Amino acid sequence: MKIRIAFLAALAAVSFPAAAQELSVGLSTPVTTMDPHFHNLTPNNSLAKHLFETLVHQDDQQALRPGLAESWKALDDTTWEIKLRKNVRWHDGAPFTAEDVLATLKRIPNVPNSPASFAIYTRPISDARAKDPHTLILTTRAPHPLLPNDLATIHIISAKMAGMGTPDYNSGKAVNGTGPYKFGEYVSGDRVVLVANDKYWGPKPAFPKIRFRMITNSPARVAALLAGDAQMIEAVPTADIANLKKDARVTLASTVSNRIIYLHMDSGRERNSPFVTDTAGRPLEANPLRDPRVRKAISMMIDRNAIVSRIMEGEAKPAGQFLPETFHGTSRKLQPEKYDPDGAKKLLAAAGYPNGFGLTLHTPNNRYINDEKIAQAVAQFLTRGGIPTKVDAMPSAVFFSRGSKLEFSFLLAGWGAGTGENSSPLRSLVASFDPKLGNGAANRGRFSDAGVDAMIHTALSTIDDTKRGLMLAAAADKAIGELTGVIPLHYEVSTWGMKKGLAYKARVDQGTFAHEVVPAKK
Amino acid sequence: MSAVLPAAEPVPQTPFRRFLEEFFESKLATLGFVMLAGIVLLALLAPLLAPQNPYDLAKLELLDARLEPGARSVAGITYLLGTDGQGRDMLSAILYGLRVSLYVGVVSGIIALTLGALTGVLAAYAGGRIEQFVMRVVDIQLGFPAILVALILLAVLGKGVDKIIIALVCVQWAYYARTARSAALVERGKEYMEAARGLGLSGTRIVLRHLLPNALPPLIVVATVQVAHAIALEATLSFLGLGLPTTEPSLGLLIANGYEYLMSGKYWISFTPGVALLATILAINLVGDQLRDVLNPRLAK
Repeated sequence: MKIRIAFLAALAAVSFPAAAQELSVGLSTPVTTMDPHFHNLTPNNSLAKHLFETLVHQDDQQALRPGLAESWKALDDTTWEIKLRKNVRWHDGAPFTAEDVLATLKRIPNVPNSPASFAIYTRPISDARAKDPHTLILTTRAPHPLLPNDLATIHIISAKMAGMGTPDYNSGKAVNGTGPYKFGEYVSGDRVVLVANDKYWGPKPAFPKIRFRMITNSPARVAALLAGDAQMIEAVPTADIANLKKDARVTLASTVSNRIIYLHMDSGRERNSPFVTDTAGRPLEANPLRDPRVRKAISMMIDRNAIVSRIMEGEAKPAGQFLPETFHGTSRKLQPEKYDPDGAKKLLAAAGYPNGFGLTLHTPNNRYINDEKIAQAVAQFLTRGGIPTKVDAMPSAVFFSRGSKLEFSFLLAGWGAGTGENSSPLRSLVASFDPKLGNGAANRGRFSDAGVDAMIHTALSTIDDTKRGLMLAAAADKAIGELTGVIPLHYEVSTWGMKKGLAYKARVDQGTFAHEVVPAKK
Repeated sequence: MSAVLPAAEPVPQTPFRRFLEEFFESKLATLGFVMLAGIVLLALLAPLLAPQNPYDLAKLELLDARLEPGARSVAGITYLLGTDGQGRDMLSAILYGLRVSLYVGVVSGIIALTLGALTGVLAAYAGGRIEQFVMRVVDIQLGFPAILVALILLAVLGKGVDKIIIALVCVQWAYYARTARSAALVERGKEYMEAARGLGLSGTRIVLRHLLPNALPPLIVVATVQVAHAIALEATLSFLGLGLPTTEPSLGLLIANGYEYLMSGKYWISFTPGVALLATILAINLVGDQLRDVLNPRLAK
């Protein structure tokens, strides 16, 4: 131990004085593109926010703040007037106007080969026009009170670059934003370099140059921080948090995030679900996962507190629904399911499976904090509860494409509410799959219930905030509490590590925003 | 080439006895042999010796995760080597891991040896175009790094012990083929081969009964080195997350799991399986070195 610390201290002493002008940030998940409209993925969106901006910003708690729009208001149920900021310039010097927003809205549904499109956020908008260069009128198909939340996810590109394809963005040619940083360099899977935008309209970023390095290996990321190769890292591994807290060279920032880790079960297929077997491992024709009692039993077999304390080392919070109670539209009734293996056994027997059945749990192994380990722990609990469970872990790229093709019966995944309220997970995870409405985009278990669908639908067109919140909560009560369409496990606590002397306000959306990193006040 | 003919020994010793005596002359080799025998025994008896079946998820206790060596479990069992992040007894996991490592190493070694030796000897015996063709295939195969070929194969084949063995055979047979051919080439020119041919024996008989047995000693030496190599390669592949399922960890996977805890001071999760792997490979290599010395006719006394 002592030798190790001395060795690292020596390393750190050598390399700390190197970079003062440049901030080097270790990212945990690779950024897959520089095109802000290509792939709706938290690491991509987080990086895009340095280069591009949205009309509506979100603060660290995801509360809405004026961004490229100075103000917005609903003229009637379906018409919105948005006042744009006047003194904003693109990185190439051209002024920002309503034309740019119109071009953005037009481009988003038409990005070829997009693996996760942003179109769900533009779909409610039926018409957009510019009243004058700095006033925008948006019309929605139906009353859509969440329009400002949706706008907070849409990165505005300059009209000049609207015709450019994703490869042009990845090469940097088309990256012309209004954000606090300008494009420097992008090497896929390795690094992104950004330089400060001196003409930025908002607060000037503290560092003239940012170097994002993708260090997907967790111990390597911590080593980079301790050695001074990175001044900041995201996703500090839970195993190291206790030690880093004691380390005088490091500051940590952490918060419970908006990301739920959950289990999805194949409740769509009536028979021959691909990874459901009998206890001996032979394929099972019937699909027990369609029975809500079986899903509830699975939920009861899992000791969430043990997972949080042992696997997550306390850096997570047991979950009973999609978002912590502080978020809008969450239920007051739903509590984390109590660990009750005996009750689960009875329920399983009542559902006609007294001897259980077999499952394979599929999980990504590089996407969520301890994802593969959580899956193994879940498999432990299920196996003990009479459902022998295998674990098949794979890189997230493979996992998501196979999962979306419905190749799994039982999977572990996570969802961060991009809009900062409960309709986002409800629509994506438990609303019936309907690409036309943009519903069920991540409903890889194909859970479907007409009642839940109706509640979500009505809620989404309810203007009154309180009423909408109650309706969303009721939908969650039914989808999770009554039908166990999804099994919530826990909310991730996200932790950033910085060298002493830097400060960062931990964000619930898990974004790593280098422009919000500042020297700590003395 | 002068020392090849077996010299007449005055003492009435069987060749095997002589071989044993020469082998155990070296203390290091004896140590290696004893270590290897011990490891093989431990691996074979793992189900009897291990306090826990580490592959049965129902037997693991998550509440016992990451316990230090010597700690006691909730149920009162002592974990001599501690537990991993899932509450798996490290001692049991290592014993079972050794089983997998040795099984994979030996089985893939035997298959690769059989395949490689046959193709190599046949190539040498047939000569001409067939030999050219076989040896160019071997050259191409040896031109690729073994780990790369194995990675690609496993990415295509998927997970499982059988898949790992297939991948290892594919990367290893070429070493045997090359060695077998060169040994067979030397043997082919010898007088007893001419005699065999002069007697009018069939090609199959000459290859199988005369050429192959005499080309065997260098192959045995290569085999020991390759088995150690295969075990290391399997560990590497498992470390990279390819090969075996996560719920049935082999040594490489155990090391990979523990690697995540290295920075936080929980050294035992990575360290002890690492030592077990090291000991296994070291023991095999010590034995292999001595075998080479004993079986090399040039070094014969």
